[in-house]
Amino acid sequence: MTLELNRLTGQVDAMGEKLAQRRENTARRGQEARQLLAARPEVDDELRAKIEAARKYDEWRRGAMPLGDRLDEACPPNPDPPEVILIAADGSQIFPDRHAITTYYLINTGTIVMRRGSGSAPSTDSAPEIFFEDEDVYDDEGQVVSNEEISLARGRREIEALARLAEQERRALGGDTSVPIVALVDGPLLPWLRPDPQRNDRINEEIDFVIRQLERLRAAQAIPVGYVDRPGSGFVLRIMELLDLRLDQIERDTLRQQGYKFAGLTDRALFQWLRPGERSGFFNPYSNAHDRYYSRSGERIAFAYVNMAHAGRGEEMALARIEVPGWVADRKDWLDAAHAALYANCVPTAYPYVLARAHELALVSQGDKGELERLLGQVMMRNGMMPEISVKASNKLLTGAR
Amino acid sequence: MDGEYEVGRVLRSSTAAFTVGCRQLIAEQDKMTPKLGALLKAKGGGDRVVYGMTCNVTIEDDAFVRQLVAAGVDTAEIIEDQRQKRQVPIVVDVMIVGHGEGLKCYHRLPPQPPRTLDEISTCGNAEVVRFTQEHDWMRLVLGSIDAPVDQILVAALRLARDARPSNDERRQYLVGAGRELAKLLSLDLARLDGILRQLR
Repeated sequence: MTLELNRLTGQVDAMGEKLAQRRENTARRGQEARQLLAARPEVDDELRAKIEAARKYDEWRRGAMPLGDRLDEACPPNPDPPEVILIAADGSQIFPDRHAITTYYLINTGTIVMRRGSGSAPSTDSAPEIFFEDEDVYDDEGQVVSNEEISLARGRREIEALARLAEQERRALGGDTSVPIVALVDGPLLPWLRPDPQRNDRINEEIDFVIRQLERLRAAQAIPVGYVDRPGSGFVLRIMELLDLRLDQIERDTLRQQGYKFAGLTDRALFQWLRPGERSGFFNPYSNAHDRYYSRSGERIAFAYVNMAHAGRGEEMALARIEVPGWVADRKDWLDAAHAALYANCVPTAYPYVLARAHELALVSQGDKGELERLLGQVMMRNGMMPEISVKASNKLLTGAR
Repeated sequence: MDGEYEVGRVLRSSTAAFTVGCRQLIAEQDKMTPKLGALLKAKGGGDRVVYGMTCNVTIEDDAFVRQLVAAGVDTAEIIEDQRQKRQVPIVVDVMIVGHGEGLKCYHRLPPQPPRTLDEISTCGNAEVVRFTQEHDWMRLVLGSIDAPVDQILVAALRLARDARPSNDERRQYLVGAGRELAKLLSLDLARLDGILRQLR
């Protein structure tokens, strides 16, 4: 062990004090936000106009438009449908490492299809792919493909797998639409893409891919859901910040000075009133990616917050954000089915079982990586090459093992 | 169950023992987990093998299963997923009892232990009979310190007996093994008696 903990004790003490202060501050400001919401929960035309104006004058403001008439909606879950099909996909990867024996990367996609009410074991799959061809490993400038690009490729495989499996399940049902199919991905529905005017076409390509897969899911009458555990977003707080401003005050400078009084808080501080199982109303989020999705598909993503805690397990609050395409948000029966099925699936913890299993099926551990590279080394030797890690990497093996 | 099947891979090894890591479905545990005293082999290069006998099986703690049990989850699909689709991490401790090359078996410690990640598999009946034709491997078992030696010996002898095709051969085998044990444990008759009673 080389970390000199004794030299950190002072810093750690200071950190503890700061965390306690921050917690107190967060609690006070969260209380303020909740009181404001309790006093002004109605969504009227003036509020909608303010939200649109704020978006217009500050395009970086990540706010949201409520779809209902109140900000404090709380919908309890319906009973778990007797039959529902839950599909989940997750991905994992080995990023390229220039210190390894060779340049490659790997994506592993895990999927699970659980048919509630069947009594049968789910269908599971792990699909590993290794990329080693020059056109896969190097970009147009001859540089090793970036981790961001590999993460996007992983995301594409996840959503494509959901679409494919939803189509298969609907076919297996003979087209019977009475059984809901909920297709779940870990994280937001849209990939995170760094806004960059030089990469416009590339960004559009990714958004178009998601649109195509969501259309496949729609055709299969499936309900796609993006599941965000412990959300760090502040979409609804951005709405709260507009409540005390007049419509004519909403312009860029005022917003920058007065429009972020709840900055540093997340919506988790706001939605404490949701009891176990309840979900909030739905909102359309505003962001560069969401606007781009809207302009290319004509649809908006909608989200709601759900308290996935189960009182029977002594849990009180476990807030998650669920995202659905607009065509799902328009269907109350689908929203109710997805809400109920997801809540019932949050066992043994306040996180969907199918997502936990999809993650497990996708996971590539350090041990797996080591075994793969041992195999690669053997193959290289059989083909007349001597596998060698870099001097730096071999020194790390010598010194890092303590 | 006759016939070879792969058990897992070597996690770590020494001159006298090795440990095998494997992952099995709960539903297949009865079939796939090597029995106490079972003869296993680590395949080295060429036709060289290192033979060992199972002396301990540990089913590792699985935090996910523990949480499901604690939460009292009784959803049929989840239970079947755990039984049929999730693999349980199992660690098998093996004591080395010999090595071989081709059809030859040597009841002594190998010149080198198995290598990390070497494949470990069970031995079919024919190989068990070939290995146990002579009884010298029992010296290695009796000489081991950190294992329930008597129980391993009894289990191994039962499995070696069952590998023989006919009742006559099985009986002859146990008689021969018993005579060898009598020589090896001549100074500990109580222990000898204990082992022989368990072979009836």
